[in-house]
Amino acid sequence: VSGQPRVLVVDDELQILRALRVVLREAGFEVVVAQSASEALDLAAVRPPRAAIVDLVLPDGDGVEVTRRLREWSEMPILVLSAVGEEEQKVRALEAGADDYITKPFGARELVARLQATLRRSEGARAGDEPTIVVDGMEIDLAARAVRRDGEPVHLTPIEFDLLRVLVRNRGRLMTHRALLGEVWGPGYADDVQALRTHIARLRAKIEPEGSGGRPRYIVTDPGVGYRFSL
Amino acid sequence: VLRAFGFLLSPTSPSRRAGVLTALVGVALCTLIVYPLKSIAPVVSLGVVYLLAVLVVSVIWGPWLGALTGVLSAAAFNFFHLPPVGRFTVKDPDNWVALAAFLVVAALTSSVAEVTRARTREALERRREADLATEMARLLLRGESLAEVLPTAAARMAHALELPSAAIVMEAVEPDGRSVAFPLREGDHRLGTLVVGAETSERNLHRLQERVVPALEALVSAALEREDLLAGVVETAALRQADVIKTALLRAVSHDLRSPLTAISAAGEAIALAGISAAEREELAAVIVGETQRLSRLVENLLDLSKLEAGAAQPRREWMSVEDVLGAALEDLAPEGFQLSIDRDMPLVRADSAQLERAFVNVLENARRHSGGHPVSVRARAVRTLGRSGDRLIVRVVDRGPGIPPAQVERVFEPFYRAGTARGGRRGSGLGLAIARGFTEANGGSLHVESLPGQGATFVFELPLESA
Repeated sequence: VSGQPRVLVVDDELQILRALRVVLREAGFEVVVAQSASEALDLAAVRPPRAAIVDLVLPDGDGVEVTRRLREWSEMPILVLSAVGEEEQKVRALEAGADDYITKPFGARELVARLQATLRRSEGARAGDEPTIVVDGMEIDLAARAVRRDGEPVHLTPIEFDLLRVLVRNRGRLMTHRALLGEVWGPGYADDVQALRTHIARLRAKIEPEGSGGRPRYIVTDPGVGYRFSL
Repeated sequence: VLRAFGFLLSPTSPSRRAGVLTALVGVALCTLIVYPLKSIAPVVSLGVVYLLAVLVVSVIWGPWLGALTGVLSAAAFNFFHLPPVGRFTVKDPDNWVALAAFLVVAALTSSVAEVTRARTREALERRREADLATEMARLLLRGESLAEVLPTAAARMAHALELPSAAIVMEAVEPDGRSVAFPLREGDHRLGTLVVGAETSERNLHRLQERVVPALEALVSAALEREDLLAGVVETAALRQADVIKTALLRAVSHDLRSPLTAISAAGEAIALAGISAAEREELAAVIVGETQRLSRLVENLLDLSKLEAGAAQPRREWMSVEDVLGAALEDLAPEGFQLSIDRDMPLVRADSAQLERAFVNVLENARRHSGGHPVSVRARAVRTLGRSGDRLIVRVVDRGPGIPPAQVERVFEPFYRAGTARGGRRGSGLGLAIARGFTEANGGSLHVESLPGQGATFVFELPLESA
């Protein structure tokens, strides 16, 4: 049992906890559950998990607060559960340090896949920086600031390259508009979503394969929230 | 003294006969008064005594009786007092001076008195008109519909202005032989008509046209505008309310449909996994069944609420036993967690048992949810009052939860309102209590809550008892 990664699930809906406990256990996780924010924080301190799944709505607080408190001492991947119509809270959770969110109702398999992806990413990050990243036919040389798709060099402006770099280094992770603007342009530009949209559109025009029916292969939009570099 | 002058100048004069009598008596009295005065003053100067009579008569009865008094006074003074006494002498100039003085005084005082009297009368009329305008404003702008208050307003006007008859109508009326019509306008727009009886005096017609009609036009126009505005406000409020409900509905659907759906979907996937135990399989099956019931209750609630809001929840009332309905409600909910106590020999109630059952289920479920694991007490009894008119059946549902803050006591019955912090909305859809109250009221009853924070809440149903 000790070899299994422990995951903390926080949701006040007992029925959801019952189902998720079985699903996650069968996916190879050790599951601890909490029904309130305070219980979650206590449990996390006593039995530190490798990852946490946190519902945004809790009886004694909210998932944003839990995320913030966990982030104070841990880099563990945090996945928040939300319902449609909670965009604002979702963004706040991501800004508080959540790695991703998943919207109710979700398939259990999707939840497991997302959880494993965030875990892999955090393991990878721990392993150290990679000078070159290769993703599905695209090679990004971070040291040389060069990009090749199917062996063909792609010419990017410095801002486009920085955008791609931030997205790729956080690949799989949802980056909010604010986070991207802050990292690429600097903290003073955090609200200029329009500029971000423009540059993302140019970047896509250069790197996305043509004829994919308008559906981006690499940079996926999360409406109203941000962008994610697809794994 | 002021009051005495007030009497002298009262707007209507006493009859002419009284005037003649007063003139005769006054002249006689003055003639008598002069006799004793002759010993202390020269006779010629005592003519001033007669001025008293002339003054009084001309102030009260006007110039003509005043002049008559002057002539009488001059004659009496001449005959009784001026030498040669007992005889009329016409060649002495004293006589003519006295007569002229009397006539001048009569003319002057009567005209001054007349002016004052006219002013008093006009002031009184103006005051009455002002009072009338105030009263009309109060009537027309009070808030009832204009059509309802117009007859009262017209009656008040007729009374205040002493008109034979008056009517205010909101349409154009042509005058006929028996009435006079004043059109009421605002600019070029015809508002309506003021109709008064044909026998109304010329003076009053003038007054109406000059002063009453303009005021009435302004008031009626303001009242109409107010009615329009109110209708607009009511409509806007209704639209806004509908909008609020729609938004809240989306939220409720987003939250309250998704939670059970998530549980069902996750439990469904979990139950298909190979490694689970029999106990877990049972638990997951129970999750699916339980959450499905929760979903279907929510859907029922949404349908009920939309029915209630559309006014389509017509109760099918029949005689029924509250005991049976409460029993059925508890069965729906699984009876653990409730302590039921019902008085013996409860009378029957005429109500829609299905609607009442929904009301009970919703309130009981709400109570159990907030009771923090403590049992919820349900107590039913009949309350009889003398005369039977106020007989009613009372069901009290008492939980031992955190209670409801005073500011929220009424709000808990609003659709989608959930007690507690805004985002900590738990479990309930926020519809149950709104529906419970809606159904209870549709059946002639009432539902309210009594609560002190920290001491639980008591929901009280009251249903009227009719004689069978």
